[in-house]
Amino acid sequence: MIRRRPFISLFLLLLLALLGWVWHERVNLQAFPDIIAAYTAKEYCSCRYVAGNPADYCLGYVKQYVPTSAFADHPDSRLVTASGLGRTHSAQWLGERQGCRLLP
Amino acid sequence: MVKGLLCVALLLFTVNAHAQAWPAKDWPQGAQLAGPAVKALEDYAFPARNDITHAGIRTDALLVIRDGEVIYEHYAAPTTATTPHLTWSISKSLMATVLGVAYGENRFKLSDPAARFYPPMKQHPNITLAHLLNWTSGLDWQEDYEYAPLKSSVVAMLYTRGRADMAQFAADTTPFAAPDQAFRYSSGDSNLLSAALKGMLGHKAYVDYPWTALFTPLGIRSAAWESDANETFVASSYAYMTARDLARIGLLMARDGRWGERQLLPKDWVAFNRQPVAQYQAGQDSAVPGGHWWLNREAQGTPRPWPDAPDDTFAALGHWGQALYVLPEAKLVIVRYGDDRDGSYRHNELLKRVLAAVQP
Repeated sequence: MIRRRPFISLFLLLLLALLGWVWHERVNLQAFPDIIAAYTAKEYCSCRYVAGNPADYCLGYVKQYVPTSAFADHPDSRLVTASGLGRTHSAQWLGERQGCRLLP
Repeated sequence: MVKGLLCVALLLFTVNAHAQAWPAKDWPQGAQLAGPAVKALEDYAFPARNDITHAGIRTDALLVIRDGEVIYEHYAAPTTATTPHLTWSISKSLMATVLGVAYGENRFKLSDPAARFYPPMKQHPNITLAHLLNWTSGLDWQEDYEYAPLKSSVVAMLYTRGRADMAQFAADTTPFAAPDQAFRYSSGDSNLLSAALKGMLGHKAYVDYPWTALFTPLGIRSAAWESDANETFVASSYAYMTARDLARIGLLMARDGRWGERQLLPKDWVAFNRQPVAQYQAGQDSAVPGGHWWLNREAQGTPRPWPDAPDDTFAALGHWGQALYVLPEAKLVIVRYGDDRDGSYRHNELLKRVLAAVQP
């Protein structure tokens, strides 16, 4: 089989290795897309409402290479929501001492 | 005769009062640094700033205290003297300092197992508080931030799988070595300390403890400390305060744990903070670890991490260039807040230029 079909064999071998890696890293891979939305919501909330920096500065402060969308800052309730890689997360300002926290 | 005694008493009082300055509501101002060496310091710390590319050295705040008085202070917008700036991993040393007060109240011993105060650590019964403070727990923690986000334990703890209960997430880490065998820097270890403190105090006293034990006695009024959904302080990453308030922690450490008349931290606690971790291998980190502080010490014959600073220098350091430097012999405390994204900032270069500027 390997000698008769070297390319397909190599492909199958690589596919098997890839599937093995995906299985091995399944927990990390599942959580991975959540990072950018959670990071953006939490660190913007703290930049804006704990450190008290201007909104436009905080937008630049949290910018990463991965694009985000549906960003919403609700100044009245101090609730910040961000989306990226298909996931959405929110952070809430809780108080002067408590700062911001990601919502479950 | 009485007049003479009064004179002596007055003289002693004046000498004492002059011997040591302490901040009250505000810091006392000393003679401000000036001259070409200050220009050289500012050329290094405050080059023209680009908030689009975020390239280069980006200092947000630089504050120099000599013998309890402000001798230099400068900020870059939007950070000001009243901005409670994120300290990132300086929070770890702050937690160590809070724990120092609890240690002085005999709430724990360094040799106590973490499991005594935090039951989820029963899966690692031999890890003590000293191991966590020295980052020698042996837990297989992955500290990378941006460069390996998939495998990063920190990113998973702060933003995804661990965020609801960060200490539990850290306790569930498998070991790579037995406790006390190897050094590995770990934000998980710091949050386990935070959970252990909660176990010592009970939830109600714990949520106010950083303020009642440390911040209020020092006159720190700007501090915020974020916690996870379990209300455990994120000791690894999320304390905020102004540069002026962080300098109060520095002065406390520079004066061996004493604040005014009060020995707030036992001297042996500060000595533990400043004792190099024996298991540390040269080159494992950018400075030599102590008890949740960083030291300017030689390790296995390699030179000091900051060769231009005295060897008694120690520091609390955080992501993106946050630093609190303490130089006890030189009577200097330096706070440097930043937003460095490319790692071009060098602790040694800043210390060298501050030291040049304070020369008489």
